[in-house]
Amino acid sequence: MATQSTQPAQPLRSGAATEPAATEPAVTGTAPGGPPPGRAGRGERPPRRRGERGPLASFGLHAGLLVGAFIALFPPFWLLVTSFKPRSESFSLSLVSEFSLDNYDHVINNTAFLTWFGNSVLIVVVTTFLAVFISSTTGYALSRFRFPGMRSLMWTLLITQMFPMAVLIVPLYNLMSRYGLLNQPVGLIVTYLTIAVPFCAWMMKGFFDTIPVAIDESGRVDGLTPFGTYWRLVLPLAKPGLAVTAFYSFVTAWAEVAYATAFMTGEQNLTLAGGLQTFVNQHTQDWHTMTAAAVLIAVPAALVFGYAQRHLQAGLTAGATKS
Amino acid sequence: MADASGPPAAVAGGGVTAPGPDRATDRKDTAPRGAGNGTPGGPGVGTRLRRGLSTHWYAWVMIAPVVTVIGVIVGWPLVRGLYLTFTDANEGNVERRIGVNTIDATYDFVGLQNYVDVLAGGQFWSKLTWTVIWTVSCVAITFLVGLTLANMLNRKVRGRALYRMALILPWAIPAFVSIFAWRMLFNERSGILNAALEGGGLSAMSWLTDPFWAKVSVIAVNVWLGVPFMLIAMLGALQSIPSEQYEAAEMDGAGPWQRFVNITLPGVRSVSATVVLLSCIWTFNMFPVIFLLTGGGPVGSTDILVTEAYKLAFQRSPRDFAGSATWGVLILLLLVLFALAYRRALRKQGDKEGVW
Amino acid sequence: MRRSIGTTAAIAALALAATACGSDDSGGGSGEGGKITVTFWDTSNETEAKVFKAVAEEFSTVRSDVEVDYVNIGWDGAQDRFKNAAPTGDAPQVMRTEVAWVSDFASLDYLAPLDGTPAVENQDDYLEQAWASTQYDGTTYAVPQVIDTLALFYNKALLDEADVEVPESLEDIKASADAFEGLEAPFYLRGDDPYWFFPYIYGEGGDLVDADAETVTIDDESGVAAFEAVRDLLDSGAAITDTTDGWESMMGAFGNGDVAMMINGPWAINDAAEAIGAENLGVAPVPAGSVTQGSPQGGWNYGVYAGLPEDEMEAAQEFVAYMSSADVQQRITEELSLLPTRASVYEVESVATNEMVEFFAPAVEVAKERAWIPEGNSLFDPLKEEVEGMLLGQSTPEETASKTADRYRDLLGWQ
Repeated sequence: MATQSTQPAQPLRSGAATEPAATEPAVTGTAPGGPPPGRAGRGERPPRRRGERGPLASFGLHAGLLVGAFIALFPPFWLLVTSFKPRSESFSLSLVSEFSLDNYDHVINNTAFLTWFGNSVLIVVVTTFLAVFISSTTGYALSRFRFPGMRSLMWTLLITQMFPMAVLIVPLYNLMSRYGLLNQPVGLIVTYLTIAVPFCAWMMKGFFDTIPVAIDESGRVDGLTPFGTYWRLVLPLAKPGLAVTAFYSFVTAWAEVAYATAFMTGEQNLTLAGGLQTFVNQHTQDWHTMTAAAVLIAVPAALVFGYAQRHLQAGLTAGATKS
Repeated sequence: MADASGPPAAVAGGGVTAPGPDRATDRKDTAPRGAGNGTPGGPGVGTRLRRGLSTHWYAWVMIAPVVTVIGVIVGWPLVRGLYLTFTDANEGNVERRIGVNTIDATYDFVGLQNYVDVLAGGQFWSKLTWTVIWTVSCVAITFLVGLTLANMLNRKVRGRALYRMALILPWAIPAFVSIFAWRMLFNERSGILNAALEGGGLSAMSWLTDPFWAKVSVIAVNVWLGVPFMLIAMLGALQSIPSEQYEAAEMDGAGPWQRFVNITLPGVRSVSATVVLLSCIWTFNMFPVIFLLTGGGPVGSTDILVTEAYKLAFQRSPRDFAGSATWGVLILLLLVLFALAYRRALRKQGDKEGVW
Repeated sequence: MRRSIGTTAAIAALALAATACGSDDSGGGSGEGGKITVTFWDTSNETEAKVFKAVAEEFSTVRSDVEVDYVNIGWDGAQDRFKNAAPTGDAPQVMRTEVAWVSDFASLDYLAPLDGTPAVENQDDYLEQAWASTQYDGTTYAVPQVIDTLALFYNKALLDEADVEVPESLEDIKASADAFEGLEAPFYLRGDDPYWFFPYIYGEGGDLVDADAETVTIDDESGVAAFEAVRDLLDSGAAITDTTDGWESMMGAFGNGDVAMMINGPWAINDAAEAIGAENLGVAPVPAGSVTQGSPQGGWNYGVYAGLPEDEMEAAQEFVAYMSSADVQQRITEELSLLPTRASVYEVESVATNEMVEFFAPAVEVAKERAWIPEGNSLFDPLKEEVEGMLLGQSTPEETASKTADRYRDLLGWQ
């Protein structure tokens, strides 16, 4: 799986910018195991040396991975299977008892699901755009300049990322209540920005760190102002970084539960996280509805994720940071 | 990130430190040497400020949006939250806008009473104990599983791409959806897990209703949610270890275990340090798993600090805003202290690269 | 790149603008064309909801300038959600309010006083007990919708099969346990909802608190005896329970014939009858404890949100009057067998001959009124959690009683 070698953001580890090979999967024989029958790698560079192992080790390896994959796949798989069963069969153990799409029909036509979906999309998309937009210049400044207040800003960003929801939720609730922002998408957007902005700024700094300073210097030589350099030369190079940052904040906001539950109350204002809870609680247990809604939420998310996941590793190794 | 649904928040936080030229050395110092450092004996404040402005203005303009936004939407609520902890605010006496009627706040300043109450009561300490157990077990198990799977995946295995895809799938699905899926599996009377146990001749478990098993269940689900992130991070770290090192070691006759201990572990050390720190913070604040899987039950036995603080403010009646804010502030303090201690410990061990 | 960032900004700005515009239409209020929207939060269950929705929406035939936005919200989170919404000005105009919530909401100024408004029509017609739950501090804050209490539901076929008489006391249930072959247990004891604990507490002559004397009474001998009775039913194998998902498990167990009896209220009649067949469903007074027979008075009221502008307030009050009118109550009883709160409705032929009403009406008359104090509902959480602890074997009945009482004293500041 040579995904990471194709991803554009690989100048992530500081050394990698000049030596992309470093992010290629290295074929290593790090674990116990003897020489294996050689297997052709797919699409990877011919290994310099093949980790080798015996049939037994090979079996163990596959067994371990299979068990892991099974555990990882089963809950979502079961959710999917259940969503096609009628209500009375929700907990039956058979794979397909009576295949039906009734649950989906019910979710889409008889519940506010689509409204919730719209709310979630609106809130999360706006949050993501605003967060990336607001924080990118800061990421750049932190990466390139030294200025008074820089250290404290870095610290602020770090500490803010540690904030438990519990420390802000009450004051935010009271303030939003005062300004009439509860139960409004705007309120939740502002709340999510408290999470997304510090995080995006920090992450962007990591990405900018991976762009060679030589580029800035060439800009200066050409007589560009720092803003010009940032806007014309550096930002275009940081596009993949922007994308990954955006993706992360998207995913985080999409799955947020606590603020969404406390701040959004009207049936029409719920987000998906709040809406899904209304199907299954102490007094109502519409598992059949819940499973169909869950699948409808999970599939687009998984598709987006599948598309973006090849960048994940890049994001994770982003930036050698040192203030 | 508060309530990170997931790991996405990325190690960006700590940035996986890699050996390499220290960026700081490349950084342009926008100021003349010494300016803005507040060196005593320098020019007067006014002059310094003016000089600072003329040399740093573009940096300051660039950070202005974030500083403003954080100041307004984080700083202001934070200060207010702190203030609330010194009052007896609850749902009956805070300012309320009831449609066309507005009722003014009538809560009083009570000094440190809330802190005294929280710290003297047993509730906080018992929740803290469980929160620490929860965090440590979740992170430790997730780390071990993630590292093991990463090691397995980092080899030539047929179907590697498929395995990788399958293993990171839990990350692709929003956590609150998966948690509901798990609730179905765990259902005591009709869930498939118990059906499987009974089918295998074992007795059914009270997964979510017995205090002990409920704890096991929430940890299991959190591990399930967290492994993909760990796996990907570790895979990245493993792949950054130059294979020459292994070759050299092999030539020197090092066995697989020795190679693992002497090359792999040091190779993933700095990534691990960051990832573990972040995981600890996320797990400590992990709201959805507890809230949606058990609701803190049975009998509050799975409530961690953040879910309890949430309940105080939004579920228990009367809603105790001041108390909840107090819990929040204490949780934040604990986290900051933990992070500082962690950093110091790493520094002491001679981790020159530093986590941050 | 420049364009794409510019576009990004434009989209973000647009979206934000859209958010800001789109956000005002949520809480009802005056819609286009001068129509007033009354949002009604209903908490009824799935079966009931269909009827209530139809009835509520027909209000437009009474007031053509009003549109009713019917929203069914789960009972579970309803109190929290109203409390979240009320201080934001974004609450529904009308809320179906459980009898124990009225004083809580009223004490926080969330409900509008209704004395002398169009909402209250023909006040003397309301049953005295039902009316009592609408009062807080001498003012009327709600209008009664339905009244109910708990009763013993039994499966006639299973009782016949076991040759067991309908039990009159918990002792009877215990004694008959062996007669039911092939059942997990004869009786399902709802363990995760404190409302269901009242028959046991009242059955021993106890209560949670004595509001007049401002004392906590749950740790009296009677309270301990009640918890012991619960423990005993479960230990002896006469009953099964769950500490979560109780409703679903109870209805499932009763519907599948895994148990022969359960305690439940009128709201469950339709579901239960559907599950085991109406001819098979019997209803009897709650089994007695060692002292007496007692079940709590429950029910629902309509509350009107306090923060409404004049035109909405007036429409909401009329809506409440309509919903609680004799005609509507009659219709609801005919379709759902719920108990009306107006004396006159009981005299209507179709209501008087309704089998369930015939049974439940006398039961309600002797049902015990709870203390309608603002903290009334706050008493449930501690009780639920402590009993849960007992059911899980973590504490004895004595400890359960005393721990619950301690928490009540903290909460209320009483003796």
